[in-house]
Amino acid sequence: MIVFENISKIYPPDSVALENISFRVGKGEFVSIVGKSGAGKSTLIKLLLREEEPSQGKIYFDDYDILDIKISHLPYYRQRIGAVFQDYRLLNNKTVYENVAYAMEVMGGTDYEIQRDVPQLLGIVGLEDKFGNFPREISGGEKQRTAIARALAMRPDVIVADEPTGNLDPYHSKEIIDLLEKINEMGTTVILCTHDKEVINSLKRRVITFDQGELVRDEEKGRFIL
Amino acid sequence: MFTYIRRIIRFGWQSFLREGSLNLATIFVIIVTISLFTFLFASQGIVEHLIDGIKDKIDISVYLNPESSQDEIIDARDRLSELPAVKSVTFLSNDEVLEEFRKRHVNDPVILESLEVVGSNPFYASLNIRAQNTNEYASILTLLNSATFEDVVYKVDYLEKKTVIDKLSAFIDNINSVGLVSAIILAIVSVLVAFNTIRVAIYDASREISIMRLVGSPNKFIRGPFIVQGIINGTIAAIASCLLFLLVVNILDARINDMTNGFDLKQWWVSNLSMIIVIQLASGIALGSVSSLIAIRKYLKV
Repeated sequence: MIVFENISKIYPPDSVALENISFRVGKGEFVSIVGKSGAGKSTLIKLLLREEEPSQGKIYFDDYDILDIKISHLPYYRQRIGAVFQDYRLLNNKTVYENVAYAMEVMGGTDYEIQRDVPQLLGIVGLEDKFGNFPREISGGEKQRTAIARALAMRPDVIVADEPTGNLDPYHSKEIIDLLEKINEMGTTVILCTHDKEVINSLKRRVITFDQGELVRDEEKGRFIL
Repeated sequence: MFTYIRRIIRFGWQSFLREGSLNLATIFVIIVTISLFTFLFASQGIVEHLIDGIKDKIDISVYLNPESSQDEIIDARDRLSELPAVKSVTFLSNDEVLEEFRKRHVNDPVILESLEVVGSNPFYASLNIRAQNTNEYASILTLLNSATFEDVVYKVDYLEKKTVIDKLSAFIDNINSVGLVSAIILAIVSVLVAFNTIRVAIYDASREISIMRLVGSPNKFIRGPFIVQGIINGTIAAIASCLLFLLVVNILDARINDMTNGFDLKQWWVSNLSMIIVIQLASGIALGSVSSLIAIRKYLKV
């Protein structure tokens, strides 16, 4: 489904973020990408979302080279990828409900679909009683669950989570990982970038290890080894 | 399409309601800019009034041949009045000229006594001509010197007044040029200040814009609410400026009337109200929306 082929990313003048990375992620997989800070995990996400372009190599999404996507079509490509970040990236002047609804609104969902689906999604992530709260009024865990609900609202093919538990305590971290597993069980591909050892070891899923921009290990049912 | 527009308007309205202090700063700067535009428009009215006052004090006197008949004089007056360059023509008989002369020199017994010495009325009947523009006196003079008026005209006092007329013409031209240049400079400066304020406000929203892009929001869906917000800010600023000027007009009307020798600010305000509202609304909405549009462009790339 997603193929990274000989990807390198060099920031001028000579800072190498990724070097000759190649791997593929199949439909419905749950893949964890681990590595220390600065290993290149976040750069990989930026390349997949085409926020940046690789210095070398190709990225295929459903057999299409994403570098061939016209700028005007980028929003529609991004709508196929639900992104969840450590800093939540919620719209601060919108409520929890509106943040989730926004994703459906930009995709052209009807008012009926939005009114039907958003409460369901907020129910799945356990935020039924936070509809009217603004992000500043809820906890970190709740913010991250809102971000996941927003990602789900897009009915994406893939959910990309970049350090989703980075700002959370162990209890809330487990909640978020359980949620991602549940989403994966429903058929959505999940790519999880983290440096949380406990999380990776508890998952017992495929683990790809990055070190200083290089892919050093790719194991089915891997563990956190650095 | 309707749903799309409705959502954009709703997002713009929500942002307007929820970003109070930022909008307040933007509205304030737009009010200052619109007020400046209105002030420039009003000062144009005041300057025109002052220039008209100066122009009304300039005229040329055509002394009429004493042998001309009443019909010839009336005919000459009517033909002059029909000229597009001529604003007004006033006929003064030699008795009226004498009477005016006496009034003007009522405190000068030597001059009045000299009139007694002369014995008869030494003045000629005259036509006082006011041109639409001071630079048109020369062409009127050429016409008066032509064969058409040869029998009626005895003498024209243009050459005696030429220096004063030329100086006043130059003065009026200077006022107009300086006024226009100052207005353009002030307008540019105020537009830049307003634009910069809106740019800073949108810079503040750059994080939100990056999130919208991340969620897959098309550019038009990101741009639209900012433009709506700009239009709302501009409209509110225009209404506030209008009310502000209404207040200023009421307070300053009498004082400006004294300072400008009779410029009726209130009357000017009423007769130009529709134009003022159009200027204020157009400049407010244009400033709010176009500045937003330009400022947001750089955040929408890729």
